[in-house]
Amino acid sequence: MSFPSALFRFLSKAFLDEHQQDRCATLRFADAGHGFDVFGLSPDWVQGMFALFQPIYQHYFRVQSHGIENIPSSGAAILAANHSGMLPIDGTMIYCDVLHNSQPARIPRPVTDHFVPSLPLISTLYARCGTVGGSRGNVHALLSRGELILIFPEGVPGIAKPFRERYQLRPFRVGVVEMAIRHRVPIIPVAVIGAEEQFPLRMQLPLQLFGAPFLPVSPIPFPLPVRYHIHYGAPISLYEGTSASDADSPQLVQQGAAQVQRAVQALIEHGLRTRKGLFT
Amino acid sequence: MSTALITGATTPVGIAIAKQLLADRVFAHILAVGAEPPEEVKALFPTSGVTYLQADLTHPRALRNLLFAPAASHQVTTVIHTALHRAAQLGGQRVHQLNVESTRELLRLCEQHPTIRRFVLRSHAEIYRVRAIEPEILDERHPIDLSAGLPQWLRDRAEADLITCAAMAVSPLQITVLRCAECLIPDAGSQLFDYLCSQVCLQPLGFDPMLNVLSLPDLARAFSLAAASPAHGIFNIVGQDTLPLSALIHKWGRLRIPLPSTLLGPLYWLRSKTQGTDFRYDLNRFRFHFSAIMDGRLAAQQLHYTPQHAAF
Repeated sequence: MSFPSALFRFLSKAFLDEHQQDRCATLRFADAGHGFDVFGLSPDWVQGMFALFQPIYQHYFRVQSHGIENIPSSGAAILAANHSGMLPIDGTMIYCDVLHNSQPARIPRPVTDHFVPSLPLISTLYARCGTVGGSRGNVHALLSRGELILIFPEGVPGIAKPFRERYQLRPFRVGVVEMAIRHRVPIIPVAVIGAEEQFPLRMQLPLQLFGAPFLPVSPIPFPLPVRYHIHYGAPISLYEGTSASDADSPQLVQQGAAQVQRAVQALIEHGLRTRKGLFT
Repeated sequence: MSTALITGATTPVGIAIAKQLLADRVFAHILAVGAEPPEEVKALFPTSGVTYLQADLTHPRALRNLLFAPAASHQVTTVIHTALHRAAQLGGQRVHQLNVESTRELLRLCEQHPTIRRFVLRSHAEIYRVRAIEPEILDERHPIDLSAGLPQWLRDRAEADLITCAAMAVSPLQITVLRCAECLIPDAGSQLFDYLCSQVCLQPLGFDPMLNVLSLPDLARAFSLAAASPAHGIFNIVGQDTLPLSALIHKWGRLRIPLPSTLLGPLYWLRSKTQGTDFRYDLNRFRFHFSAIMDGRLAAQQLHYTPQHAAF
């Protein structure tokens, strides 16, 4: 066993309670033969990173999960979430939440922007945890294998929007709808409440390191300990009443993207209405 | 049962394919073609079922003589083309002649041949374009790397593949291109094998891409199935082992040292100049950064090929 795998096994045993360890033991993944799937996911790394993020998930952001039962217990599905907060902490919290609460425990496969595989160290860490680069081929491969994928259809514009425009969604890209129709899979709208306020002061330096569109900076060195609320909506079956070839229709996918965006926006509004405060 | 002609037959890959075809009784007789004199290669092949012929494939006349004399008299029905210059450190016109022009000429002559009906090319996974923005699972429609400044070793392989693929549309032959994952054996032109021969393997710091490697028995079986199957077209031939580069280095018992990528090119250049090794970092730069695993589902569906042997 390699050193990182041994380390992550140790971490998961040290930091996860028995219940979580039992859940992690049931995680299913398509082993390509040497303890990794074809994208490089390793269950040891997944458990280890889950153990490391568990205190942040439970005690720092105190994540509250709503509607996790909307995630199917098996088969391919797409989680489509709003993106915010300067750094991809929202994705990490959704990832931890699905690992923590889904029945049975499933590994979500976040889809990142094109530049992420170019980032040294981060690319490897992400790949071991199940993240894939944002290309049509990768999404196609994951859905064909019955995986649960996590997409932020707003893309980088969502995470880069100024604080004054918080919780106002950027236009959803249509690729997610195209894939849902083509693969006959449901889209589960997801709203993350709290991430928008974690960095109230933020700016973007026009430094394009490793292909990243900008370098995010904030005078606040750590995100504020806002409470996260993650809301999962009812699955949207856009494929019903369509054929796989309808995924090529620009009008249909545009309408579908607007429908998913409306569903996420409605969940956001519901989440904002029902939360008691930023930190409670 | 008919006769097949195999080019590059004296390489480990060529020998394995010849033996597999005879063992599977796909062909009754094999014409094994190589550049070496017959007395040097006598021990390589079974005593019955194989006829060895020496030919220099870089000469069009020699190719014509080969196809229209012994191949015609043996009524060859299938040509399996595996001949390729393996050393990455060498280049130039003569290398290009073998890698590319011989493929072009062989295809042309096969089309005119009275008995040849099928052409099978051994192509390579390395020809696929590997970049951060590309999918990590590569099907047969994935773009071929044709970027400017590509080293000849890669450019020749891509060109030979494309010549053969282009002929599929117009040729009366049944053409099959098998894009094979890398086979970690000596004398097969494997860059990874040469990389792993070193006690210390340098790896780009912060990157650990997934790789797929193929065993020689699986490679030979894929050719046997392709030669026997009515299916034709382009097929990815994958191996049983898919693992990160670091795990591969670990399994080979080598010491892994991650270094900034900018240092690896000069260090491996120095290694090849001082030790005469064949590994070139510029050929492998992208796949040492980004995962690229071929999708073998088409070969599984149409050729009934699935890998069965571990590569190491």
